Amino acid sequence: MSIVPKETIEVIAQSIGINNLSDDAALSLAPDVEYRMREIMQEAIKCMRHSRRTILTTDDVDGALNLRNVEPVYGFTSGGPLQFKRAIGHRDLFYIDDSDVDLKDVIEAPLPKAPLDTGVVCHWLAIEGVQPAIPENAPVGAIAAPSNGTTYEQKEELPVDIKLPVKHVLSRELQLYFDKITELTLRKSDSTLFKEALVSLATDSGLHPLVPYFTYFISDEVSRGLNDYSLLFALMRVVWSLLQNPHIHIEPYLHQLMPSVVTCLVSKKLGNRIADNHWELRDFTAKLVASICKRFGHVYNTLQTRLTKTLLNALLDPKRALTQHYGAVQGLAALGPNVVRLLILPNLEPYLRLLEPELLLEKQKNEMKRYEAWRIYGVLLRAAGQSIFERLKNFPPLPSTPAHAIWKSKEKVVTEAPTLNNIHASR
Amino acid sequence: MENMQAVNSFVAAYLKKKGFKEAEQLLEDLQNKESAPIDFHNDPDLAKFIHHFSQSEDDVAQYQDGYSKLRSWTYSSLDLYKHELLRVLYPVFIHSFMDLVAKGHLQEARTFFNAFHEDHELMHSRDLQKLEGVLSQSHLEEMEFACSLRQNKVNIKICQYSYDLLLQYLHKTQSTAMLGVINEHINFQVTSVEPGSISDDTEVVTLIGSCQDAASLINQKEIHWGLLEDSLEERLEKEGGLLSDSEKTEAENKEGDVDDSKKRSVEGGKQGASTKKLKKDKAVNATAKSARPEAKPTPAAPRVKPELTLPVMSTEVEQSILEDLRNRVQLSSVALPSVSFYTFLNTHNGLNCSSISQDGSLVAGGFSDSSLKVWDMAKLGQQAGSSTLQGENDSTSSEHVAGPNGVKRSYTLFQGHSGPVYSATFSPLGDFILSSSADTTIRLWSTKLNANLVCYKGHNYPVWDVQFSPVGHYFASSSHDRTARIWSMDRIQPLRIMAGHLSDVDCVQWHANCNYIATGSSDRTVRLWDVQSGECVRIFIGHRSMILSLAMSPDGRYMASGDEDGTIMMWDLSSGRCVTPLMGHTSCVWSLAFSCEGTLLASGSADCTVKLWDVTTSTKAPKNEDKSGNPNRLRSLKTLATKSSPVYSLRFSRRNLLFAAGVLSKNV
Repeated sequence: MSIVPKETIEVIAQSIGINNLSDDAALSLAPDVEYRMREIMQEAIKCMRHSRRTILTTDDVDGALNLRNVEPVYGFTSGGPLQFKRAIGHRDLFYIDDSDVDLKDVIEAPLPKAPLDTGVVCHWLAIEGVQPAIPENAPVGAIAAPSNGTTYEQKEELPVDIKLPVKHVLSRELQLYFDKITELTLRKSDSTLFKEALVSLATDSGLHPLVPYFTYFISDEVSRGLNDYSLLFALMRVVWSLLQNPHIHIEPYLHQLMPSVVTCLVSKKLGNRIADNHWELRDFTAKLVASICKRFGHVYNTLQTRLTKTLLNALLDPKRALTQHYGAVQGLAALGPNVVRLLILPNLEPYLRLLEPELLLEKQKNEMKRYEAWRIYGVLLRAAGQSIFERLKNFPPLPSTPAHAIWKSKEKVVTEAPTLNNIHASR
Repeated sequence: MENMQAVNSFVAAYLKKKGFKEAEQLLEDLQNKESAPIDFHNDPDLAKFIHHFSQSEDDVAQYQDGYSKLRSWTYSSLDLYKHELLRVLYPVFIHSFMDLVAKGHLQEARTFFNAFHEDHELMHSRDLQKLEGVLSQSHLEEMEFACSLRQNKVNIKICQYSYDLLLQYLHKTQSTAMLGVINEHINFQVTSVEPGSISDDTEVVTLIGSCQDAASLINQKEIHWGLLEDSLEERLEKEGGLLSDSEKTEAENKEGDVDDSKKRSVEGGKQGASTKKLKKDKAVNATAKSARPEAKPTPAAPRVKPELTLPVMSTEVEQSILEDLRNRVQLSSVALPSVSFYTFLNTHNGLNCSSISQDGSLVAGGFSDSSLKVWDMAKLGQQAGSSTLQGENDSTSSEHVAGPNGVKRSYTLFQGHSGPVYSATFSPLGDFILSSSADTTIRLWSTKLNANLVCYKGHNYPVWDVQFSPVGHYFASSSHDRTARIWSMDRIQPLRIMAGHLSDVDCVQWHANCNYIATGSSDRTVRLWDVQSGECVRIFIGHRSMILSLAMSPDGRYMASGDEDGTIMMWDLSSGRCVTPLMGHTSCVWSLAFSCEGTLLASGSADCTVKLWDVTTSTKAPKNEDKSGNPNRLRSLKTLATKSSPVYSLRFSRRNLLFAAGVLSKNV
C-alpha cells in the first residue's frame, strides 16, 4: 500500500535496537513514514528552489530537516555518488557500501589541490538585441538548429571549444537505396539487377545526398578489396555511373575518388586468381580516368598534370611490375594522342630496350611474365600508332608513310608481328 | 416541508453515524440559513436519492465505479458542454479520494488514486503530489491543504444546461456516492449564459471557496497605482522644457481629473466599477496623448502622495540620476537592449543568489557557505585587461598566489551569516547591501566600509528574499514563516508584518511608488499589500506552482510574476486580473525585470535563456477593448541563449542597459 515496504520499517527498527517490532506496527508505521518523507522532500524542494538549483542535493534535505528542527543526516555531503548495494537475502533492502579506511592513509595522503576560487567574468550577451558570435556566447548555429523545442537544452552540454558536428540527415528512402546498391555491389555484381542499379545511378536525379557516402564506400572497399577482382570492377562501374549522372555534382568528392580509381589502374595486383581478367579492368579504368580528366580538367588545372606525372613515374620505374606498366600506358593512351606523343614517344626507345629481354622466349622463362610483356608491347604499339595516326590525319595525301614509320623503329621484333596482330585483333 | 424535514433528519442521522462533523455542521448551517444557491430540498427526486444514500452500505467500490462511470460519461458528452463538465471531475476526484481515506479504506484509496490521477496531472500536479502522501485520517487532519479542501466548498461556474445534464445523469445512474460528493463539496454557480462564454476564465474553478470570495472582496479595494508626485522623471520633463504649454495645462487638467475621480470614487462607496470606468477614461486620454508624434515617456499614470516619509536625496545624486535619465536609450520592440552578462565561475554549486547594483558596477553573490561576496566590476576590468578569457587566467593565478594572505582577492568577502545566504539586494545608490539567510536574520553591509552594520532579527525561519525599496532606506523581506515584513534601516524591529499567505512567502517586490509591496508564495498566489496599513489589497490567483520572481512595471500599473514551471503572468493591478500569461520558458523563471520606460519585460530562467517580451502590445490592448482576450498578444521578441549558464538575476540600468548574471554550470 505504502511505497515504503514493511521490511524497511523492520530494518530501521532493528537498527535502533527494537528487535521485536510486530508486523501490525510495521504496517501501520509505513504509511506515516511515507507521509513524513514526502513532507521533508517538499520542504527540500523549496530549499532547492531558493538555492536557484534544479537538482536536489543532500544539502537541501538537510536544510529541510533543519526547518523541522530535526537533526540533519550526517555523512552524505561528500559529493560523490552514493553506491547502494542490495543486501543478500533480502529483496528490497539496500545499504550504502561503507568501506573501511585506514586513518594512516588519510593522514599521509598528500593534500588535494585547492579548488579554484570563485570569479566573475563579463561579456556581451547581446548588443542592441543581436548576439555577437564570441566564444562566451552559445554558438549561433546551435541556437537556430533545434527549432522543434524539445532538444533545446541539449546544446548547452557542450564544452567551450568543441564545434558541433553538422548532422547530415538522410531520408529513410535514400538510406534504403544506399544499402541496396552497396549490397548489390558487394555480393551480386554480375546480376541483371546490378546493371539496372547502375542505370539508376547514372540517371536518377535525387541521389546527390548519397554522393559522400558512395565516395567513402568506394575508397573504403577498394583499399580493402584489392584481391577481389569482380568487386573492383563493380566499384569502377559504380564510379562510372556516378560520373555519368548529370544531376550529381561530384567535383567536391573527386579528390577522394581519384586515388581509388588510379589504384585500380596501376596497382601491382588486381584480383588473386589467374583467371581474373585484370587487363579488362585496367582498360575500363583507363577510360574512366580519361573521362574524368576530360570533364573536370578545366575545373582542376592540376588534375591532368598530376595524373600524368603519376602514370609516367609508374611507367619509367623499371622496378615496378609489368602490370603496373601496362596500366600506366593504358592510362596515358586513354588521355589522348597528344599525351602519348609528348610523354610516351620520347621514352619509347629506352623503354623498349628495357622490355626486350622480357619478350624473348630464351631470356624470360616465366610464361606469365612473357605474356605480360607482350601485352605491354601491344598497347604501346597501339598507343604510338594511334598518336601518329592522329598526327598524320592532317596530311591526307601521304598514304604509305605511317606503316613505314612504325616498322622502322621496330625492326628487331618484326618476326613476331603476326602474334601482335592477333592480340590486336582479339581486342 | 414534511418531506424535507424527513430528509434532513435522515441526513443528519447518517452524518452522525459516519462521524462527518463538518458536514453535519454544514447541514445545520444550511438549515438555518436556507440560502443554498440551488434548492436541493424541494427536489423530491434528490431527496429520494439522499434517502437511498443514507441507507445504502458505504460500499467502497461505489466510489471507484461511480467515478469511472462519471468520467467516461463526461468524456463522451457533447463537445459544447464537455469542458464545463470536465471541471467537475477534479473536485469529485480529490474528494472521493479523501472520503476513502477518511473512511479508512487506505488500500482502495491508493488504487483509486493511481487509477485516475493521470487525468489531472497536467492541471494540478502539485496538489496531487501533496495529496498522494495522505495515507491516514490523521494525515488528513494534519495537512493544511487537505483541511482547507475539506472545509470549503468548491465553486464551479456552470451553465444551466450542463448542470441539468449532470443532475440528470446522476439521477439516472443512481450513483449515490458521486452525488454525495458533489452535494457535499461542490457549490455550483449556475448561470444562464451560453456555455462557451465561460470557458477560458481562470477563476471558473477555485478549490478554496472562501478564499476566492475573500479574494474577490479584497480585490475590490481601491488602490492608487500611480507614480509618486514630484518624482525625478517628472521634474526632468519640466526642467528640460519638453512639455509645451498646452500640454502642461492638459497635464494639469488631467491631475485635476484624478482628484475629481478620487472624490467621486469615495462618494461612490469605493465601487470597483466606477474606478475601473475612470481608469478607462484615463486610458483613452493616455492613448490620445501617445498618438502624438512625440517619443518621450509620457506618464499616463496618475500621481499619488507617498505614504511613507521618504529619504531626502542629495543634489549630486539627483544630478547624476537626471543625467542618466537624459541619456536613456529608448527601447521598443524594434530597438532591443544591449545585454551585459556576468558569469560566475568556479562556484562549486554554492551560489544561491546574485544581485546587481543599479549602475551595474557591483555584483554580489550569496553562497551556501554563508558568505556574501561582492565584485567591483570596475576593478575587475583593470586587473583583467581587455580580454576576459585572459583575465580569467590572470585573476585565478593571482588569487592562487595571494589567496592565503587574503590580501589580493578579486572580490570583497562579507562573512557574518551562519546559514546559506538566500538573497541579496543593493540599495539604489549602491552603498549598502542587504542579505538574507537561512539563519533567520537579515544583515546590512556597507560597501564603502566593507563591514557589517546591522543585523535585523525578526523572522523565525529562513528569510527567502529581501528587497530594498526604490527610494532606499526601507526594505521588505519574506520568509518561510509565511510572513513578509517591512523594515527601515534605522530600526532593528520590523515596521509592519504582512501575514496571510498560506505557505512560504518566496519573493517580494516593491511597487514603483513605494506604497505597496507584492509577495509571491508557495501557495501559488501573489498578494499586494498596503505598506502603510499592512493590509492585503489584492490577491492574484492563477499560477499553478510556486512563484519565484516578481517585477513591477515602472508606470505602476502592471506586475509580472514568474513561477517554477516557466510561466510568466502579467497582472493588471487595478483589476487584479491576469492580462495574459507568457509561455516560453521551460524551467524556473528566476528573475524578471521591466525596462525603464516599461516597454519591454526581460525574464531570466533556469533553461539558460534570457527572453525579451513586448509589453506595450499587451498593455494597450486592454485599454482599448477593456477585455483580456487573446493570449498571443504578448509576444516574445527575442530569446538570448547563454552558454550553459542559468540566469539568476536581471537588472535594467537607468540608461536601459540590461545586466544579467548567471553561473556557469556544466551539468545543466
